[in-house]
Amino acid sequence: MQNDIRIFFTKTGMAKYISHLDLMRCMSRAFKRAQIPLWFTEGFNPHLFMTFARPLSLGQESLCEVVDVRLVGEMTFKELQTRMNAALPQDITVVSVQKPVHKPSEIAVAEYEIKLFSDSPDALCDCIKSGFAAPQITVLKKAKQGRKKIEKEIDIKPNVLSFKITVQDTYVLLHVSLTAGDQNNINPTLLLSALTNGFPSEIENTEILKTKILLENGEQFC
Amino acid sequence: MLSRAQEKLLAKVQKPARYTGGELNSVVKNKAEVKLRYAFCFPDSYEIGMSHLGMKILYSLVNERADAWCERAFAPWEDMEALLRENRMPLYALESGDALSEFDMIGFTLQYELSYSNVLNMLDLGGVPIRSADRTDLTPIVVGGGPCACNPEPMADFFDIFLPGEGEEVTNELIDLLIAHKEKGSDKLSFLREAAKIEGVYVPAFYDVSYHADGTIEAVTPKETAPATVKKRIISDLDSVYYPEKFVVPFIDIVHDRAVAEVFRGCIRGCRFCQAGFIYRPIREKSSDTVNRQAKCLCDSTGYDEVSLCSLSTSDYTGIESLIPKMFQWALPEKINVALPSLRVDNFSEELMEELKKVRKSGLTFAPEAGTQRLRDAINKNVTEEEVLKTSAQAFRGGWTSVKLYFMMGLPTETLEDIAGIAELAQKVVNEFYKNPDKPKGKGVTVSISVASFVPKPFTPFQWEPQDTMEQLVEKQKHLIENVHTHKIQVSWHQSRTSFLEGVFARGDRKLCNVIESAWRKGCKFDGWDEYFLFDKWMEAFEENGIDPAFYSNRRRDFSEILPWDHLDYGIRKAFLEEENKKAHESVTTPHCRQKCAACGAAKLNGGHCDAK
Ligand code: SF4
Repeated sequence: MQNDIRIFFTKTGMAKYISHLDLMRCMSRAFKRAQIPLWFTEGFNPHLFMTFARPLSLGQESLCEVVDVRLVGEMTFKELQTRMNAALPQDITVVSVQKPVHKPSEIAVAEYEIKLFSDSPDALCDCIKSGFAAPQITVLKKAKQGRKKIEKEIDIKPNVLSFKITVQDTYVLLHVSLTAGDQNNINPTLLLSALTNGFPSEIENTEILKTKILLENGEQFC
Repeated sequence: MLSRAQEKLLAKVQKPARYTGGELNSVVKNKAEVKLRYAFCFPDSYEIGMSHLGMKILYSLVNERADAWCERAFAPWEDMEALLRENRMPLYALESGDALSEFDMIGFTLQYELSYSNVLNMLDLGGVPIRSADRTDLTPIVVGGGPCACNPEPMADFFDIFLPGEGEEVTNELIDLLIAHKEKGSDKLSFLREAAKIEGVYVPAFYDVSYHADGTIEAVTPKETAPATVKKRIISDLDSVYYPEKFVVPFIDIVHDRAVAEVFRGCIRGCRFCQAGFIYRPIREKSSDTVNRQAKCLCDSTGYDEVSLCSLSTSDYTGIESLIPKMFQWALPEKINVALPSLRVDNFSEELMEELKKVRKSGLTFAPEAGTQRLRDAINKNVTEEEVLKTSAQAFRGGWTSVKLYFMMGLPTETLEDIAGIAELAQKVVNEFYKNPDKPKGKGVTVSISVASFVPKPFTPFQWEPQDTMEQLVEKQKHLIENVHTHKIQVSWHQSRTSFLEGVFARGDRKLCNVIESAWRKGCKFDGWDEYFLFDKWMEAFEENGIDPAFYSNRRRDFSEILPWDHLDYGIRKAFLEEENKKAHESVTTPHCRQKCAACGAAKLNGGHCDAK
């Protein structure tokens, strides 16, 4: 286990349009270009051993993405970071390399910074506030019942741990902290769809940035 | 860089990474610091266009220049097109997000006839008038290249310039010229007059075409500074010609997502149906050291785990035996797969097979093209039944359990006997599998036969031949199915309707420009995609313009007829093609170029030199 390493990286700008599957391919090519000595699975069709914690949804940006790999040669973390950043596309950047401390399953909370652009940000802000104030925030969530795929109505109010909302000149700025465990991970898009449901005019653009992933006790995941 | 308005569209489309740019190795320059902006357009989807080697070469070649910036644009998928039109936003190039109309030069590669409607659609979406005559400013200049530039007549009204032949040198010469004309504030006509003087530059507007009453061509008359015939350009020395050190690496999965090393241009085989086998002559090879170096360099710069060797017939490469061990030396330790496409049956040696087994097993494919020896002789496809069977048996011993065979239907001189021969050959391959004493237990064999409809093309010995009608093809397809007696043989074929249209444009003339415009206005686009192909709209467009498509596809031409592409010189002598045509009708073969030079004429383009002579 001692050669396992954890890489934190950002995925911003145009990189938000890279799906998770494409990100995996992009990362493994970057490891190759950067000539990082990594462990491959054995067998007929060896592939790079690589695990991502909590994949991001298409269209969202993040400052705290995580991938775990296994180093099989000598290389300092500093060197690895420099090489990777030379090999990665412009909107993906390694911010730190370290030995893993926590298990990915210990991730419990994620924090987001969300910008909602609108012609009438004040009205939008009020709409969202009243959504938060309601006794329940119900959403339709895809779930499985035995083998069948069903849509289930659930209340995600308990999954919203805290929020802060302000109006900027052209947008509403929302900071929200949501449960992000294996069982109770909430996609902020789902929350937003519930909160802005009754809003009459169009929301021009929504920017979602994941800023932090935390443990149950509020400590940083590392 | 995309604007917020452009980004907003991306949130609503499938596969947004098709439209973002920002891929590894894509080139972003400061537009204020370059003198010329070039938009390289591929008239098909991102996934297909990004797989194309020619585009990668020209993209890097132009971007090597400090004074020019080359960007990419592809045909947007229908969801994106709808959003662009709905929001009145232009089609943009991926690197800058700027509309095509802002570019100085817009280059299209014409890889297949069924992408013509997409060219019009992209120009229109990009805010550029589709007709050359309606673009009166100096820029943008719309340029077309690629294999279809050998008969670009159906697209003549839409392009300012065509570049028959290889683009590496002439593109730079044209860019130099356009920069000079921009700087002196010149106009389009003056620019085109100078451009027409460059060897390998075809300005269609500088030729008047007149027709006989029966619709055939009476004369093609050059005017202004245009030469009587435009000679295609070739690169003389492939070891020194520019080759990219980097490829743009897409985020999404594309058709050919790997590094590509080019090994040679041209082909020694002289298969009479194959346009590529003639229009890329004379044969010129790269040394195995060059290929090896370029392959390694690309793998390093892209991180690809697969590299393929590219040419029309890679196993004819004289350096193959020395190249493969060189490549394996670095590729195997780095777990890079070396893919060798288009291997030929006749020199697929045991040793090569052993080497290939070291890497991942891909499907085994052969292209006998015709079902009987007589017809294979007529088309000069030098593959015998014995070779196919021997190699299949060898492959089965090597552990393969599926073989794919490629055939054509509708070949000149073909009879129903030849069609039945396709099924018989496939059956014999199946039998070979069961003859193998140590065939894998519990595993069956699959022989897939894929049948394409033959389309006669310019600059081939069959350029005078009638194409089979759709009815004839359907009858032959039925006959083939009736002759297949086992589920171990799977048959698939191309739609005969698309082949029909392809045939019309391949040998079409300028009267078709109006048809293409009408069809595009009716909504035709992505004609190469079954789900978008609107055959009835195309037929309406022919009808409205008073054109009978059968005149182009199903008519036998006289050897004396002036063909729409006769004023383009691809080096190949017309008399040579005529001789080859006559030999085809007598089922007489022509030896390949290393056995005996057939004096096709192409060597004159290279100072009399041909690597196969
Ligand atoms: S010049 Fe001779 S050897 Fe070269 S391509 Fe033509 S026929 Fe073949």
